[in-house]
Amino acid sequence: MSSFVIEATGLEKSFGTTRALTGVSLAVRAGESLAIMGASGSGKTTLLHCLAGITLPDAGAVAFHGRAGRVGVNTLNERGRSQLRREEFGFVFQQGLLIPELTAIENVALALMLNGMPRREATSHAAGWLAALGLAGMEDRRIGQLSGGQAQRVAIARAQVTGAAVVFADEPTGALDSTTSADVIGALLHSTTGQGRTLVMVTHDADVAARCSRIVEVRDGRIVGERVGAAA
Amino acid sequence: MIARVAWLLARPGASGTATLVLPVTAFAIVTTLLLTVLGGAQSFWTWTDDIAFSYQLLAVVALVLLVVPLASLGGAAARLSARRRDDRLATLRLLGATPVTVSALAVLESTVLALAGAVAGVAGYFAVVPALALVPFRGAPLGIEGVVLGAPVIAGAVLGIAVLAAVSAVLGLRQVVISPLGVRTRQDAPKLSWVRAGIAAAVLVVSFGLMSVLQVAGSAMVIIAFLAAAFGGTLAVLNLVGPWAIRLVARRQARRATRPAKLLAARTVLESPKAAWRQVSGVAMTSFMAVFAGVGVALIDLTAGDAGMDAASAQLFADIRTGILITVIGSFLMVACSVGVNQAAGILDRRDLYRSLDMLGMPERTMDAARRRAVMSPLRLTAIGSAVVAAVVMLPLTGVTLLVQPLALIVIAAVLAAGIGVVALGLVVTKPLLRRAATEG
Repeated sequence: MSSFVIEATGLEKSFGTTRALTGVSLAVRAGESLAIMGASGSGKTTLLHCLAGITLPDAGAVAFHGRAGRVGVNTLNERGRSQLRREEFGFVFQQGLLIPELTAIENVALALMLNGMPRREATSHAAGWLAALGLAGMEDRRIGQLSGGQAQRVAIARAQVTGAAVVFADEPTGALDSTTSADVIGALLHSTTGQGRTLVMVTHDADVAARCSRIVEVRDGRIVGERVGAAA
Repeated sequence: MIARVAWLLARPGASGTATLVLPVTAFAIVTTLLLTVLGGAQSFWTWTDDIAFSYQLLAVVALVLLVVPLASLGGAAARLSARRRDDRLATLRLLGATPVTVSALAVLESTVLALAGAVAGVAGYFAVVPALALVPFRGAPLGIEGVVLGAPVIAGAVLGIAVLAAVSAVLGLRQVVISPLGVRTRQDAPKLSWVRAGIAAAVLVVSFGLMSVLQVAGSAMVIIAFLAAAFGGTLAVLNLVGPWAIRLVARRQARRATRPAKLLAARTVLESPKAAWRQVSGVAMTSFMAVFAGVGVALIDLTAGDAGMDAASAQLFADIRTGILITVIGSFLMVACSVGVNQAAGILDRRDLYRSLDMLGMPERTMDAARRRAVMSPLRLTAIGSAVVAAVVMLPLTGVTLLVQPLALIVIAAVLAAGIGVVALGLVVTKPLLRRAATEG
């Protein structure tokens, strides 16, 4: 079995006349934390979306090595990619993008219910994750009643509760102050690589990136550098 | 300065031209429906014989009933227009714009969009006129000349729509002016009291009592007064208890939901039971009226059939049945439009969330089912609940009608079912917008 959990080769992607990715190849090892750094418009989010099967590349291939063996991500149809994202991947976005009408625990449990788990069991798992992330007692709060950092922890719990092999995070601390940001990254790393899972994170914050085990730098749609981070 | 900022804000943003096209379309639909209703009602005033007054009285009742869903649709259009700008105007407040500037911008923009929509709506009305002219009353079609409105009425309607938009913009943005952060964080979680249920039960008991006494009451005036009190009282109750009942049912659904779509739908309704009620309240009135009047007409028909009825009265009762059906259909059409407008606005407002849910792997059918349930569940509760309340208030008479003229109630039930279907269609129309929001962001 490959020690890589995701392998991308020769990715090309254009939006109209703008080239977002040019011949990008990248392999992500199981259990590592990988930071993708770059300036705004460098192509880092497009790369993350291609790796996660959100966007299809114009050329190149993405393979995921999961419980069911090797899966060609870009060969799956929309439905197959949705299922893959639901069952194998977790996501944390900059603004959390949690469902505002739901309580914290419902937001987390929903991820399991989408995979067919009964609500009672899903709620129990969700409560465990919220407690592990320091949110015990806040289960029934609606998202608007939480601080930015607390909301991001709920998003982390949602990303992890399904037992996702890989968590993709897109600027997860972009909307937070530096103290809360350090806190959230600590929680994110602890709940992913700390449990033997893989984290792929897009960030423009050098301090945040430095806490990962590996950092790749993207510029003008190409990977222009790679270095080892503090967690290596 | 205000005009310059208004022009800047009017330029299409991330959601493309939809922010401009949607409110204009909504106001166009409101205007077309308003003029169609007025045109139909106007034809009743072209008659001058003895029985004309009865028709005019009934037309006024129908107009009053249609005003509720029409106002709701108009309000939805105005709120859509205002809400599209809420965030940007709130940002302007945060940047230091005065409340006067923000209000002026909101009013100016909403009014201009409403005027553009209203003018398009007038064209829509003239497209509907040939069909409207074919509706039969008193044994003959209403005719083109009967339903075409004069220029002053049309101008008045257009002006009225613009004023509605302006007033709604001011009211809707009061929140922005008072607290810009209130709009940006969206933390409201309204609660409704049990007191409503108590008052509602009391009024229903009184209405039921009035209807029971009615059977032994003597003069026609007393009967009409009792009927009016029972009708008016129960309508008031529906308005009082509607949001509360919707919240109660949604809470139960949220607790018991086993599937993601059910949970999402129930929570969406709980977010604002008043808004859910506002959207379907027109149907409550109409559904109540359909059963109330339907039972009455069926019974009058029956008793008159025994005693023998003159041709004019027979025609009047046949026309009342037609009127009931047209009012119910009109009401549902307006609710369907209102639902379409609200849904379109909701999808645009939440496109980032829908995009993120798609990324998480939530199937589009789950997102669609959730928003469908969030509309259809309160609608079914409202339509069926109001019909049942009317049937209860008229209980002895409803029972008699069910036994001797079941067809009358079956027709009403079929029209209500069709109406619910039309609203469901309004939801289907906005599905492509959801797909685009989920997959394109």
